[in-house]
Amino acid sequence: MSAPILVTGVGTLGAWGSGSERLATALAAGVPFTSEVDRSAGYHLSDGARRACLVPAGQFSNWLSPGESRRMSPPSKLAVAASRMALDCAGLTGSEEERTAVVIATAFGPSTNTEVLLKQILFEGPESASPSLFMESVANAPAAQIAIALKARGSSLTLCQREAGPLLALGTGAAEIAAGRARRVLAGSVDEMTPLLHALLDRFGALARGGSEGEERARPFGRQRNGFLAGEGATVLVLESAESVAGRGGKAVASILAWGSAFDPTAPPSGWGQGYQGLARGLRRMLERAGLRPADVDLVVSGASGAREGDRLEAEVLHAAWEGASLPPVAAPKAVTGEYGGGLLASAVLAAAGSHLGPALGFDEADPELGIVLCDGSLPSPDVVLVTSLAAGGAGAWVVLGRGVG
Amino acid sequence: MSEVATIQDRIKRLIVESLNLEGMKPEAIEDDTPLFGEGLGLDSVDALELVVALEKEFGIKIKSQEIGREVFSSVSTLSEFIAGRTD
Amino acid sequence: MTPGLTPIDPKKTVAPLVAPIERERPARRVAITGVGAVCGLGWGVDALWQGLRSGRSGIGPFARFDHSRHRTHLAAEAPDTDSPDLSRLCPGWRRTSIADRFALFAALEAVEQAGLDPQGTTPPEDVGVYFGSSTGGMYESELFFADFLRDPRRARLSALVAQQVNAPGDAVARQLGATGPVATFSSACASGALALGAALEAVRSGEVEVAIAGGSDSLCQLTYAGFNALRSVDEVPCRPFRAGRAGMSFGEGAAVLVLEPLERALARGAEPLAVLAGAGSSCDAHHMTAPDPTGAGAAAAVEAALADAGLAAGTVDFVNVHGTGTPLNDAAEWQALRRVFGERAGEMPLVATKALIGHLLGCSGAIEAVATVLCLHRGELHPVRRDGEADPELPVSLVLDAPLFLPGARAAVSTSLAFGGSNAALVFSRWAGSAA
Repeated sequence: MSAPILVTGVGTLGAWGSGSERLATALAAGVPFTSEVDRSAGYHLSDGARRACLVPAGQFSNWLSPGESRRMSPPSKLAVAASRMALDCAGLTGSEEERTAVVIATAFGPSTNTEVLLKQILFEGPESASPSLFMESVANAPAAQIAIALKARGSSLTLCQREAGPLLALGTGAAEIAAGRARRVLAGSVDEMTPLLHALLDRFGALARGGSEGEERARPFGRQRNGFLAGEGATVLVLESAESVAGRGGKAVASILAWGSAFDPTAPPSGWGQGYQGLARGLRRMLERAGLRPADVDLVVSGASGAREGDRLEAEVLHAAWEGASLPPVAAPKAVTGEYGGGLLASAVLAAAGSHLGPALGFDEADPELGIVLCDGSLPSPDVVLVTSLAAGGAGAWVVLGRGVG
Repeated sequence: MSEVATIQDRIKRLIVESLNLEGMKPEAIEDDTPLFGEGLGLDSVDALELVVALEKEFGIKIKSQEIGREVFSSVSTLSEFIAGRTD
Repeated sequence: MTPGLTPIDPKKTVAPLVAPIERERPARRVAITGVGAVCGLGWGVDALWQGLRSGRSGIGPFARFDHSRHRTHLAAEAPDTDSPDLSRLCPGWRRTSIADRFALFAALEAVEQAGLDPQGTTPPEDVGVYFGSSTGGMYESELFFADFLRDPRRARLSALVAQQVNAPGDAVARQLGATGPVATFSSACASGALALGAALEAVRSGEVEVAIAGGSDSLCQLTYAGFNALRSVDEVPCRPFRAGRAGMSFGEGAAVLVLEPLERALARGAEPLAVLAGAGSSCDAHHMTAPDPTGAGAAAAVEAALADAGLAAGTVDFVNVHGTGTPLNDAAEWQALRRVFGERAGEMPLVATKALIGHLLGCSGAIEAVATVLCLHRGELHPVRRDGEADPELPVSLVLDAPLFLPGARAAVSTSLAFGGSNAALVFSRWAGSAA
């Protein structure tokens, strides 16, 4: 990996609303915007989780026309809006580039469309299945709609690797530029959080329940952590080569120094395993390939979400990779953004650009068994940011971000 | 004649509802407005979506070979086709 | 609603839409040293090859789910009769979906053929898994939802544990103890080919020493009803490129290929089946379901794959077509072949594997890669049945009725052209010993 790949634009939508400024404010305050999930369908347990980080209504009007969004699934709308926002941020609105690749991660794909279709098929009969709902039920619908909306004719890739997907997509996108296969890449992540998905995640015991103060809070690395906050949204980043940014006199908000991934075969299909040593080897190998050592890392933006086992494994991997040396400050933005929807990507870029990521509300006391101290935001802006994410099922992915240029 | 008019009104309502044409009123669709291309600007997926809605609404089965440009060219042609099938 | 075909002058050189960017030649060539497969023709590569070379169709009546109320009634279902005893091979297999089991079977077969000990000498961090799937455990999810949506209290959550799209690839990595990268691509019908492209890049760049690459999908009601709603399914077994073709046929199964650096394979005494020489992909950016009728996007993927392989179009001796059998897709693919191969397009032998095993969706690119490797390795292109008349609009040279022997075939292309306009192409070259 020679010349760094540059991040020149960020488009993000989530519970905080539209745009990275609003996200930065939420992250600095450490306050998640949660709202009540519609439980009227009867999918939920009566004493289960009730809240999630849901995208407020009316976020699309600036970015999508009613005509083009008429048949789009919710994730396609989120993804296309985030892509246009990202190009706008990069100063590239109206500048079409055919050699644009699109790399989008999604954990669950278009869940609303899938649910409605299944109801049609199972209860009204297969001949009632809606063709336009089906067309927008496939996992690659958001990537395809981005390509259509922006006339992006490079590779169109959709990655499904649960919580590791967003960083895998970012690394895969960076590789497209590094290998010369694309001049521009839109890389990101999208997911929607439907009542059904929320209810199922809660029935699996994955979601945060009320803690001592009665609030549902994600408490990454906290002693009281009992699950994550379900979230939704989309984050799309514009990636370009340093040459292309210099050529057009553009600016970069961050650079991508390294990317890599690994797998823990001891993980059960929907949980986290014990294989921290293998994952730590993968993390170190990624750093070494970029000529970096763990000691070079100034800040870890962790994908820890408040999941009991996931955070435990994340802490073990970091300690093993650092071989017992003391860790740099760690931030865990999913306490604010919620899990799924790509908030981690936008938060990591903000951190690399110098934004403050403090501990979130509800983080009362660090889990002494994990040995992770969340940063309080007093550190100077970092040169090297390690972004991590370990997925249920065994996959892990990492990206190293550096400062921007211009 | 009145039966055909009723079918036409039902078809216009189905077009607006099943195709999610926000802000369009069924009565704004003329009987002879072309549904595809220049007129309403619908495409083949819309035609198939409309087929599912028509099958449900009128209790008929439409074969793939019947979904052609001629039958689907306007509300008038569609209503003639439906009227022929529901006799 | 077949739009008129856009005429193209085949003599005119059409610049690829996405011009390949010049780059240094890759240092490492990548060999395919093992393949594994399960599909409607049976379990194992031998069942696949025997079925293919005799032109036997696996498409027929099926029993996976009650399809009496669906619009069509055919599929190439993996047979129950000769299914292997997975409980012996894979501990914990009861928590897996049908798609996971297909994947596990194909992966174990491919690894065994490659002569790699699953617990063997390759460091686990040097093994990566690159998989494609369209719907993962959707079949099992449907069974769960049928219960859950009626009465949430009655449904067994355990039925949902491993039903994500990434589950087949994860299951393979778990079974093989791989600790390298694991990535699942879900770009509809291009998924398998895109996974192979990613695997090729990972081996070339040295990120891994062994890549387990493939795809898996099982029949499910969602996809079956969905493509029927789009009226893209033929009532009779699909007839790619033939007149009167009226859509695809569904298939299911898995396919896995073992990729490793050619030098490494030779050094350990493995016999390469073929070389995976290049991969390319593109997007039509045209429509969610309809292909770009000019074939420009599909041609760009093939051009990019040839450029990646460093091979001229003139060295390609046959094409394993995407050939779904839908009127629009085959017409667009023909236009793409004309763009890439010019005057040779009409004489290019085309292998239409989907006519025998159906469309395996997220796995189609992977199993057609296996079919292409077998044809290249054995110098024998498998035929399909002569169903109906030739289409005068598509003057192609399909391999029909009997195998076409091409022992000297140098290189072959396999295409995957998906929903959402996502196109992928792979280029394979024959391994003819160290002289090649």
